[in-house]
Amino acid sequence: MSSDTALRADALGKRFGRRGGWALRDCAFRLPTGRVCAVVGPNGAGKSTLLSLAAGLTAPTEGGLTVLGTSPAKARPRVGHVAQDKPLYPQLTVAETLLMGADLNAGRWDAAVAGHVVKDLDPRARVRTLSGGQRTRVALALALGKRPELLLLDEPMADLDPLARHELMGTLMGQAARHGTTIVLSSHVIAELEDSCDHLLLVAGGRIRLAGEIDELLDAHLRVSGAAAGADLGPHTVVESRVTGRQLTALIRPAGPLAGDWRTTAPSLEELVLAHLRGPGAPNPTEERAA
Amino acid sequence: MSAVPLTAAPVDRPRQTRWLLRLHRPALYTWAALWLLLAALLVALDGPLLDAAAQGWRQFRDCGMTERCDYDQGAILRYKDCYDYATVALNVLPFLVAAWAGAALTGRELESGTARLAWTQATSPARWLAVRLAVPALGVAVCTGLLSWLHHRAWAAGQGRIDSAKEWYDRFTLHAGGPVVVALALAGLAAGALAGLLLRRTLLALVVGVLVTGVVRGLAELALPHLWPPVTRLSTLDQGFLGDGLVVDQGMVTRSGAHVPPPSCDSTASCEAAYAHFTGRYNTYHPVSHLWGLQLTTTALVLAVAGLLVAGCFLALRRQTGPLRPADD
Repeated sequence: MSSDTALRADALGKRFGRRGGWALRDCAFRLPTGRVCAVVGPNGAGKSTLLSLAAGLTAPTEGGLTVLGTSPAKARPRVGHVAQDKPLYPQLTVAETLLMGADLNAGRWDAAVAGHVVKDLDPRARVRTLSGGQRTRVALALALGKRPELLLLDEPMADLDPLARHELMGTLMGQAARHGTTIVLSSHVIAELEDSCDHLLLVAGGRIRLAGEIDELLDAHLRVSGAAAGADLGPHTVVESRVTGRQLTALIRPAGPLAGDWRTTAPSLEELVLAHLRGPGAPNPTEERAA
Repeated sequence: MSAVPLTAAPVDRPRQTRWLLRLHRPALYTWAALWLLLAALLVALDGPLLDAAAQGWRQFRDCGMTERCDYDQGAILRYKDCYDYATVALNVLPFLVAAWAGAALTGRELESGTARLAWTQATSPARWLAVRLAVPALGVAVCTGLLSWLHHRAWAAGQGRIDSAKEWYDRFTLHAGGPVVVALALAGLAAGALAGLLLRRTLLALVVGVLVTGVVRGLAELALPHLWPPVTRLSTLDQGFLGDGLVVDQGMVTRSGAHVPPPSCDSTASCEAAYAHFTGRYNTYHPVSHLWGLQLTTTALVLAVAGLLVAGCFLALRRQTGPLRPADD
């Protein structure tokens, strides 16, 4: 397995319980190293399951997942993970929590990085007395102190105010830039990821809807509008189209030069994601490319 | 207030034991306090409490059949109460361990998600579980072993001096003063840990851990008399059952030599008729010399069950997190 791949899924599937529904099914994608990847999708889409699988917390039911060129279990020392509910031992103090991180990640621990993330917190404060945002910082310090090559963050922003979000993203981007850390962060709010991420995984209904470099994905799509009468988007892939009055608006993946009288604009990431979520039949361009 | 020095040791091996002890510090202190209390009680039962009660019994015996007797009844009752408390406490110990293991050791960690936090550090889930089983197992084995030894000593010292002293085959005495209680405590640890791993709920795991330990204890009690070859003594009809000890089976011997259970009868005439064709009685039992044979075989059985429960723990963990050893895949 090439070492320039942070995550690679092949026909990955996870079902909870023997008769339970599939949380993830038939997932195939590849995430190169050094990317900041946004995993977006509605609530319950399978984002957390995907991150848990990558962190080696749950075993896949079918298919395979390669993490940093090896199995999730073997990659464990090189992967950081912050779960959605930010579990921490409530009886430990902030300082003790980081000390535990140092002990459990002996040989890898970077106390300076971890300490920087929690620099505004009282080291003697018990975790149980912290606010949601403060807990997020401690959890993140624990994950970053490990100096991971791959950092998996499940809804890291949920508990943070806008200023803290900005600061957190700054810390993460700094980490990514300095150490070449691959960062995968999930969110159901697309806007907060748009500026900082360069790779996208769109998960919905347990499947990967869209995967790739955000720039490439945006370049591959066009937002077109024109008269609804006699509109023919023939050779192009229509992700989503809507008719308002006599006007037709569509998000397409052009197969070639656009014939006819269309007004075209470049879609925003949010428009692209929403179009793919609303038009569930749209084929995944990554699958097409692989075929 | 922190007992943990705020410096990290420069070793490349994850140090889990230290954090296991830190996280369970309240339980550790409680355990230590309980242990000290019980150990002190058991030592006293072999010392001042015993001496006072033995003195009381001596006074009582010296009275003979006289109408008024002046003896230290308080000392006798105090000894008896303390012996009963200590014995019950030792019998309850495995359940206490099971409750703690189910609730705090695994159940709470899985319910609150801190187990997942631990599994995303550099240590594998298998190692996480191994440390969580091995360190408490060592502590439980040593502490319970010492207590059961103290109990046996106290019990043995009372024999012949305390008229109301329990026989060796008294159900609770038997399960307090020997290695069986150590094995039961270890089985309780494994049962609790397994319940926590499977149920992932603090309270539910506590209850189920205790229940499973109860089942193990019940099975051990049922199996114990059959784990060592018993002795059978025959007697005539006029004699009672011969031999004193842990009874396995008692009944009547027919003319053909067969062993049958005693018949039920409710009047002299019907009893005479019912007993007419018996030639004697048999008593299959364990004399006191079998004590250690029974203890050790039952211990082995319970340890085997504990081993199965531990294997179950690792299987439950594997079902959740995938292959335990990265080499497996």
